[in-house]
Amino acid sequence: MSLKTLTKPWEAMAYGFLDGSAKREIRRKMIKAIAVPGCQMPYASREVPMARGWGTGGLQVSLTLVNPTMRVKVIDQGADDSVNAASIRRFIARVAGAPTTMDTLDADLIQSRHRIPEEILRDDQVLVLQVPNPEPLRPVQPNMSIARQMHADADYGRMWLQLYEQIVRSGRVMQGASYPSLVHGRHVMTPSPIPRWDVPKLNMAQHLTILSAGREKRIFAVPPYTRVEPLVFSDVPYKVEDHAGLTCHRSGTRGFFMNEIPQEDGSSAFEVSDSEWGVKAIRRRDGEEVALGETWYKNGRMPS
Amino acid sequence: MSVHPVPSDFEARCNAAFEAVMWAMARPGLVRDLPTTGMAQLVEALIDRECAVYCAEPGLAELAEKTGALAVAPDRADHVFVDDIPDRLLTQLNCGTDLHPDDGATLIAKADFSNGPQLRLTGPGIDGHVVVSVGGLAHDFWQHRRRALRYPMGFEILLVDGARVLGIPRSTIVEVL
Repeated sequence: MSLKTLTKPWEAMAYGFLDGSAKREIRRKMIKAIAVPGCQMPYASREVPMARGWGTGGLQVSLTLVNPTMRVKVIDQGADDSVNAASIRRFIARVAGAPTTMDTLDADLIQSRHRIPEEILRDDQVLVLQVPNPEPLRPVQPNMSIARQMHADADYGRMWLQLYEQIVRSGRVMQGASYPSLVHGRHVMTPSPIPRWDVPKLNMAQHLTILSAGREKRIFAVPPYTRVEPLVFSDVPYKVEDHAGLTCHRSGTRGFFMNEIPQEDGSSAFEVSDSEWGVKAIRRRDGEEVALGETWYKNGRMPS
Repeated sequence: MSVHPVPSDFEARCNAAFEAVMWAMARPGLVRDLPTTGMAQLVEALIDRECAVYCAEPGLAELAEKTGALAVAPDRADHVFVDDIPDRLLTQLNCGTDLHPDDGATLIAKADFSNGPQLRLTGPGIDGHVVVSVGGLAHDFWQHRRRALRYPMGFEILLVDGARVLGIPRSTIVEVL
């Protein structure tokens, strides 16, 4: 053994910013996360040049997976052009030399904050969701050691009680985003704060979903063709947001998840939340040839 | 704009090997292509000083030791690399605990995908069911696996045949046809 065998040639920066040991840690934990769908796996979350809570968990997964041929799309609440999305996309491109895109159909890796694109993802695409709070039991059990025991026992009675109390108090389930969902019939997970509209997209999907919480240091996954069932009572069906009848005031597209834009006269205008879908719809309306992918929702309904 | 960073050969190999392993785990029963032949690339992609490893093959054990990993007996290892699976190995493997299913081991073994008994796989990652032919394992291997697993406790199996890999996560139900 010589000194040379113990060292590596000098590099200005590790490829993809993360050093080898950080990548290997994420790789090992991703294997376990995929093997036990929906189960939160603790991992050694590293520092990245971004504040915790701004997508560091998702970024670490993206930086581990990325290579110079992997086309990256980053979304923030559906939009490709918001500050958070643009910064993360530029950072990944800069440290990994990866090509970027805004088109869901072109992307190999999609890092997303709180939305799943409207176009159906293929079985060679990876969706990385940023997760602020990975523990669905936290509202009913703040002690995370006890929560871990409850997951081990599949003791989810209090989750049902919470939903029941919401129905009794308010007449409906009040949980808007991060709707607790049972994965593979065993682990309840939070699907990250995606709207209720997006949760059915995870059920038996073709793509691989990795959910990573950098601040909370947990990673979990939904492999393709895995059951993801929102917790519902049999007599109170699951309801998505009532957006099926809304029309986007810019692109004219209809039947997708919308952002509400308050107007000066007190009324509201609506704009499609998946910004690239809206852009493509406008370009097609203006006579360009644009490929629109198959969408999960058809005429505002999720085919069952 | 600065020059784009270029991955080293080592980095590119680890990245490609892991991508194959990740998809092998995500889609059990579908064989994926590794960048090169053998298990050394998996040691490079996954193992470092955080790991406790058992390698049956001396050359691989040396490589694993260089990464700083602890060399331990199979029952204490989190990664087990073997060519032929010894009797009773499956009963010794670490299955993790109910509290920490992630402590379960990963078994990496050699197999033969060209002939052997047909297996019918069902579970997450599989659209309906998939039939795959896996040889080179003991005839009661899958029976022992089934007995050893108690979901979510269990271990993952990565089978390597040359430059191809097949993943069998603990969530997969295996029937020998």
